[in-house]
Amino acid sequence: MNNKVMNDKKVLVIPCSGIGKPIGTVSRETAYKIVENLRKEKCQTICLALLTSGDKETIDKVKKNYCITIDGCAKHCAKKNVEACNKTPDKSYMILKFAAANPDKKPEGIIDIGNGGRKLVNTIASQIAKDIDKLTKNKVEVSVNERK
Amino acid sequence: MKENESKVNKINKVGIVSCSGEDLPEGTISRLATLEVLLKKKPFDTTTICLPLFIAGGEGDRLFAKNNPTITVDGCEKLCAKKATEKYSGKVACSINVKDFINDDIKICNKRNLNGKEKEIVSNVADAISKRVDDILKES
Repeated sequence: MNNKVMNDKKVLVIPCSGIGKPIGTVSRETAYKIVENLRKEKCQTICLALLTSGDKETIDKVKKNYCITIDGCAKHCAKKNVEACNKTPDKSYMILKFAAANPDKKPEGIIDIGNGGRKLVNTIASQIAKDIDKLTKNKVEVSVNERK
Repeated sequence: MKENESKVNKINKVGIVSCSGEDLPEGTISRLATLEVLLKKKPFDTTTICLPLFIAGGEGDRLFAKNNPTITVDGCEKLCAKKATEKYSGKVACSINVKDFINDDIKICNKRNLNGKEKEIVSNVADAISKRVDDILKES
């Protein structure tokens, strides 16, 4: 019963909106890769701008579900906008760190991140997908143990 | 002196603030149209910031729209870009909603890899933004 309740919770994958830099596009593409392909059944995304504009329904959704933020740069817009709703993201990632660790996978442009960028997206999305599995599994187990 | 004042007061850049719209196909149209203007149509006349920087950034980011006339480009009737810009910075010069460029008989469905119709809408929205940039610069 408790397992069912926990499994009903979705994982919100929230990328930064990063319009001016290729790493912003990588952030968004990574989120889409997870939400539309790798973990379609568990994950959703939301428009980050809805949090910025203070949309109550979206703030409520953020508070009730797991939250993962994917920021392009050190300004951490996605993370900070989630924190502004009094919610600490369950996991936070920054594309720049992954880019530094994968210098052979370099995004090329803002509109088209090129082959290098797409390879970087695949690498990051796979890593985050595994973390999502751990996160949801752990939370279910913790919750069941708490009940006992 | 008057000539100098005129130079100081003249608007050099128009800020274009796009909704992030990650969860909507119209959000992608909004972002791509904004980028088309920023990178191709009016690279020397326009600038932008990421909308969530209003919360995550410093005072400088929040002053953005006070120092630049802004055009907001939204993907839906929630008008996040317009509302957030006016909440944190100042009144916008012009607000554009992508929905106004989509006929009822056209179905918009792609957040990635837009089809021909969706690309056409991007182009129409970019033209509208570009025209408003010209109007604002002319008025200044």
